[in-house]
Amino acid sequence: MSGNAASVDEHRALLAESVADFTARGTTIARVRKLRGTPQEYDRAVWKQMATLGWLGILVPEPYGGLGLGLTEMAIVARGLARALVPEPLTATAVLAASALAAGENEALKRRELPRLAAGETLPALAWQEAAGVLDPAAITTRAEPIEGGYKLNGLKRFIAGSAQADAFLVSARAGAGIVLLWLPRDTAGARLALEPLADGRAFGALALEDALIPADGVAASGAVAAEALARAFDHGAAIAGAELAGVMDRALEMSLDYLKTRVQFGKPIGAFQALQHRAVDLYIQKELAGAALGEALAVLDRHPGAGTRAALASRVKARCTDAALRITREAIQLHGAIGFTDEYDVGLYLKRALTLAAWLGQPTWHRRRYASLTAREMADGGWRMADGVRSGGVP
Amino acid sequence: MTDWNAMADEDFRREVRAFFEWQYPPQLRYILHRARWHEMKDWWRKLCEKGWIAPNWPREWGGMALDAGKMVIYLEELERHGVARPPDQGITQVGPLIMRFGTEAQKAHYLPRTLSGEYIWCQGYSEPNAGSDLASLQTTAVLEGDHFAVNGSKIWTSLADDATHIYLLARTDRRAKQQQGISFLLVDLKTPGITLRPIRNLAGHEEFSQVFFDNARVPREGLVGALNDGWTVAKALLGFERLNIGSPRRPQYALNRLEMLARAKGLLDDAGFLDRFIALKLDIEDGAALYRRFVEQVKRGEPLGQDVSMLKIWTMETWQRLAELLVEAGAEQGVIAGVHDVAGVETDFLNPFYYSRPATIYGGSSEIQRNILAKYVLKLPS
Repeated sequence: MSGNAASVDEHRALLAESVADFTARGTTIARVRKLRGTPQEYDRAVWKQMATLGWLGILVPEPYGGLGLGLTEMAIVARGLARALVPEPLTATAVLAASALAAGENEALKRRELPRLAAGETLPALAWQEAAGVLDPAAITTRAEPIEGGYKLNGLKRFIAGSAQADAFLVSARAGAGIVLLWLPRDTAGARLALEPLADGRAFGALALEDALIPADGVAASGAVAAEALARAFDHGAAIAGAELAGVMDRALEMSLDYLKTRVQFGKPIGAFQALQHRAVDLYIQKELAGAALGEALAVLDRHPGAGTRAALASRVKARCTDAALRITREAIQLHGAIGFTDEYDVGLYLKRALTLAAWLGQPTWHRRRYASLTAREMADGGWRMADGVRSGGVP
Repeated sequence: MTDWNAMADEDFRREVRAFFEWQYPPQLRYILHRARWHEMKDWWRKLCEKGWIAPNWPREWGGMALDAGKMVIYLEELERHGVARPPDQGITQVGPLIMRFGTEAQKAHYLPRTLSGEYIWCQGYSEPNAGSDLASLQTTAVLEGDHFAVNGSKIWTSLADDATHIYLLARTDRRAKQQQGISFLLVDLKTPGITLRPIRNLAGHEEFSQVFFDNARVPREGLVGALNDGWTVAKALLGFERLNIGSPRRPQYALNRLEMLARAKGLLDDAGFLDRFIALKLDIEDGAALYRRFVEQVKRGEPLGQDVSMLKIWTMETWQRLAELLVEAGAEQGVIAGVHDVAGVETDFLNPFYYSRPATIYGGSSEIQRNILAKYVLKLPS
């Protein structure tokens, strides 16, 4: 990105302002409640507005009709929208699908679909995972069999976020010894989508593929390029899911603090009781810790580190933000008392969003173990080491 | 004289690092106990000769006059090289307070002697009945002509037996309430009527003392700031002290030894251990990210707010959990006192466990820090 530090900061502040403006006027919790559990899951008109604001193209490179900005900018939008529980699939489409597609090698496909993705005209979803808890993009059984003029696809992809109104899928499949990433329009014969309802009212898609035919020009990437595209998309997705979790915890803590200041029992606001004050402080520390880890990781990720550092930072962010968001939203229920356990009170919606974001793209324990194995070599050196990009930060 | 602040950060860091590596006594790197004056006095002299003993002091008093950014680098390099902290309260605490609140005569007398190490200071704040509630302190100083008659006792005074002087909060007006009526006094420990009783801590060391005052006659010239205004003086703690006390470097020894032990014993192949270990390691690293956020704030020249309290809570409590896991990982060996050879590396299992205990007590206990955050940052009602 061009421009000096001050103008970058100004742009980011303006972006945050436009997100705040949008969540104040363009969406409500009532809308979120109305879409819960419906087959629509989200609103394409709202999606279009998000496109108009430029948000869907943040990670799309400029030559392909996007803004070519960084994960830091995307995180500002994701965090702000998550505060309002916006159900539109920003991370699923504008991060996961956009990152994977942009990292591909099919120029014609990129020139055709990336501008349409950024404009909100085509809404693609990334269909890469098959088994619960199995997050290695290569650990799949869906097969792409070469046929005359393309591929024939068979298999079952699951846990596809944002799929309810997806127009197309980027499907990973085994082809010989390697992996291919294929562009599959939704109406392709032999492709059937079923929705599995989630705790937060959204849905995962399960995409059954029976002899679905993909033309040769639908190959987005193959071999090492496909593997790297998927790895990159996963890491970017996990980091931005962390930003969403940060937005969820921001609002859940804010609601809890407001409640502590206004709810009166035993003749005083319950926030005057030290037991609750100290609990609230611990939640605040979790939120600040998550925000600091997230901000630092995003800054390094935007300097395009190697795949190892990228993965380690994404894992660090997803683990920390998940733990913090789950703790804050769970305790928010306790701090609210019985009203917190009702469906009509909004704080419970934040717990459910935190739960689904926690499960998606890797649970904290999985991420911490990945972090451990990625940093095993540093650990073998025995010193106080951080991922290389972070080291310049201040504690070298 | 070199203008350190005009140097590029990396050049300054290199120069500081080179000096520490070249001049600091290797046998005193990463020592596990609180360093004593007799161990540190040669190093103190070396720093003095170099003009580096008081990085935070202005030039006119012999300091390096480092700005916030350079100060952070200086502290980081001290920590990186494992340089022990000398009995430096004169440099970090009382010197800056004298510069700010003292008379010209006080500055001229105390500052050069503090710099040279002729005067070594200890702190007289806590009392047997005034810990977290410091403002309830009962030691009295009654003005009798040109002297104060001081009576009472101070406790948990670190390295009092190394010190030549004590800076003291004493009640000078019994009728005034709490914080009012307290004065800040500089006292020579050789004054008749002052006695020390060393106190053995859980680690088995006599690092702190109780200091008794029995009609000790302290010259009126020892009063810093206005009479009955000592609370204002004591409260003016430097931002750096508040940042440094939450530095993520503090738990480093425990983390480092735990990693070595885990590798030597193959503990990282045990998923149960690995999960606990890596969670703690990330607790430290994410805490370091939080620390760096405050460092950036200081470097921009912005004052630290009350929110910096969270750093001390998190760092110290994480240190305790790390130290607990170190003892547990040592199993039977973990409770055998002294230094052990773990895969060729000297390891003391119990030391971090002991020394992390008071970390959530001194400098404002974790509970007091939480009270501060609840009141001033979260603005919860009282």
